[in-house]
Amino acid sequence: MSQDILALIKENVVQGRINKEDEGMDEGMEGTPAVMELVQQALTDGIDVQKIINEGLTSGMDIVGQKFEEKEYYIPDMLASAEAVGAAMEMLEPHLASSGVEPKGKILIATVKGDLHDIGKNIVSILLRGAGYLVKDLGNDIDDQTIVDAVKEEQPQFLGLSALLTSTMMHMKDIIKSLNDAGIRDNVKVIVGGAPVSEQFANDIGADGFGADGFQAVSIVQSLGS
Amino acid sequence: MGIIRKGLPGGSFKPLSEQDIEKIHNTVLQVIEEIGFQVNSEDARQYFKQTGASIDEANRIVRLPRKTVMDLISKAPSEFTLYGRDEKNDIHLGGSRVYTGTGGTALYIYNPGSKEKRLASLDDLKKIAKLVGGLDNIHLLLLPTYPSELPVNQIDVNRFYAGLNNTSKHIMGGVYTLEGIENVIKMAEMVAGGKEQLRKRPIISMIACCMSPLKLDEHYADMMIAIAKAGIPLVCPAEPLCGATSPITVAGNVLMQTVDSLMGVLLTQIVNPGTPVIFGSVATSTDLRDLKYLAGSVEMGLTNAGSAQMAQFYKLPFYATGGMTDSKALDSQSGYESAITNMLCALAGSNFIHDSAGLMEFAMTVCLEKYVIDNDILGMVMRAVEGIKVTDETLAFDLIKKVGPAGNFVTSKHTRRHMRSEHYEPTVSDRNLREDWDAEGGQVAWERATILVNQIIESSDYSLPEDTKKTILSQIPGIVV
Repeated sequence: MSQDILALIKENVVQGRINKEDEGMDEGMEGTPAVMELVQQALTDGIDVQKIINEGLTSGMDIVGQKFEEKEYYIPDMLASAEAVGAAMEMLEPHLASSGVEPKGKILIATVKGDLHDIGKNIVSILLRGAGYLVKDLGNDIDDQTIVDAVKEEQPQFLGLSALLTSTMMHMKDIIKSLNDAGIRDNVKVIVGGAPVSEQFANDIGADGFGADGFQAVSIVQSLGS
Repeated sequence: MGIIRKGLPGGSFKPLSEQDIEKIHNTVLQVIEEIGFQVNSEDARQYFKQTGASIDEANRIVRLPRKTVMDLISKAPSEFTLYGRDEKNDIHLGGSRVYTGTGGTALYIYNPGSKEKRLASLDDLKKIAKLVGGLDNIHLLLLPTYPSELPVNQIDVNRFYAGLNNTSKHIMGGVYTLEGIENVIKMAEMVAGGKEQLRKRPIISMIACCMSPLKLDEHYADMMIAIAKAGIPLVCPAEPLCGATSPITVAGNVLMQTVDSLMGVLLTQIVNPGTPVIFGSVATSTDLRDLKYLAGSVEMGLTNAGSAQMAQFYKLPFYATGGMTDSKALDSQSGYESAITNMLCALAGSNFIHDSAGLMEFAMTVCLEKYVIDNDILGMVMRAVEGIKVTDETLAFDLIKKVGPAGNFVTSKHTRRHMRSEHYEPTVSDRNLREDWDAEGGQVAWERATILVNQIIESSDYSLPEDTKKTILSQIPGIVV
């Protein structure tokens, strides 16, 4: 029974179905239980939370990643699956501690001051949630001090900064300097991204990592976190 | 994962007005009634005589009154199906529904990956059949090459066997001998499961040409009679060339094409009323510097689009010609000539665009890579034929409201629901970022297509059941294994 429901969770992650109204990828799925309903069922059945994560959610995302690599899946497919996993992780969060599951890590993310572009940042958030991270999204047009204060308060393992404009990307440098000044730079890994940002720029301003796209953002977080 | 578009209604491109069509039609009848056409087959003249036609035996000229012409046209079915060995490949000709297929008959083939050409062999034909079997936007296999190593009495059976044994799509082909026609039909009956079954689901069809201007060749007319008697679908295409075998004008070319193909249509309906016959056009222009036939001119596209309208007017299924190039290399010329002529034919609602893939340099040479590239062109062309669907669902007001100003549509279900069906996904086109393109070797379309050719041929297996093959090989003479 537990194998069946885990297999169904995995299948629905691959289909990118959050709840039963979702159509997913294949015909005829609409109306059948999806990731949210199935995870709830698994909790009710007392299935181990770690198992739900590993054998249901993560193994589903692995297949999604593979399909994306093979060009079968498009970004909206990947995002739908990641959203489903993110929603499931939120549902599982209160049960993590009691089940002895170590959370993967907390990520604070924001688009910097003066910059209203948030499509890329939102996609990165969805993908990070889909990879099992707890993501706190501060929004866009966030001033440097608010970001530094949030790092103090939330104590995340990662800070993700986004900018689309060359005129606003310099805030990233200022934020890193402020973190240094506040004596908390070493507590958090700073990852930067956005169209004008490059590996070179990330190095120059003393960031810990750079993601050229959402998928690189996830893998850089994973490699810095391990 | 993408959807396969075929049989969608075209017809949004109408180079001829209703008055134009009426005027061409009246002139067509005038030509057939006053000028007449030369019929060089004794049998064919006898058939025309049965209709009460006036025959000038000394000059072998047949003239038909308007009423006879229209009566005979009305006997021809306005719709019929060219069946595939696999029914998912069936082609429902008629109306303005658009399908595509290969064409021929070329003598040469390019060595894969090169600009060098050589005589095409039977083995090449098998490869092309396999390749076409794996290309979704090419809906029918018209046997495209002439195996140069075989004597003429072995050509028909070997060509059709190569087609039937390597793809489950419908097989159409030109024929070369009366004996060949007989044996090919026998072979197809074995594949279809019997005489009756083949008439019910004809998985093959044949081509017998009319000669422009105004001439039915003896040999071809006799073949038309044989095919019509056998009840096998056939095409009677004509190939008037602007300024050479038709007036130089596009209108004159459409007129000539209509009259010339109708000669064949009329004959088949006298021989066997109701014979599934396709009104066919291979009309094009001429290079008046040296009288070469041209395969990639925009006027070819225009003539064929106009002829599609004439076919729709006469309610006859239509076989158009487009998709070729005069270029000797897979370069931008080969791309634009193929695309423009295919697009004009398709948007005009041509039922079956023949030659739509694989042919180069005046239709003399086929190129494996070009089949793969043209498959992509045809995918785009069919998407254009499909047009723009306007509904509440496609306009998505509720979604726009939900997403709101400065939002995005990347994460919406609506995007997932429609992204694969609304947008054609090319297989050869390069859409990589420069660095990824560089990393993959900086290949041009031709080189990318070479890789795909090999992959598709290797994974394509539509061979006939073993016992069918055995029966054919033991009963049909001359097949080379």
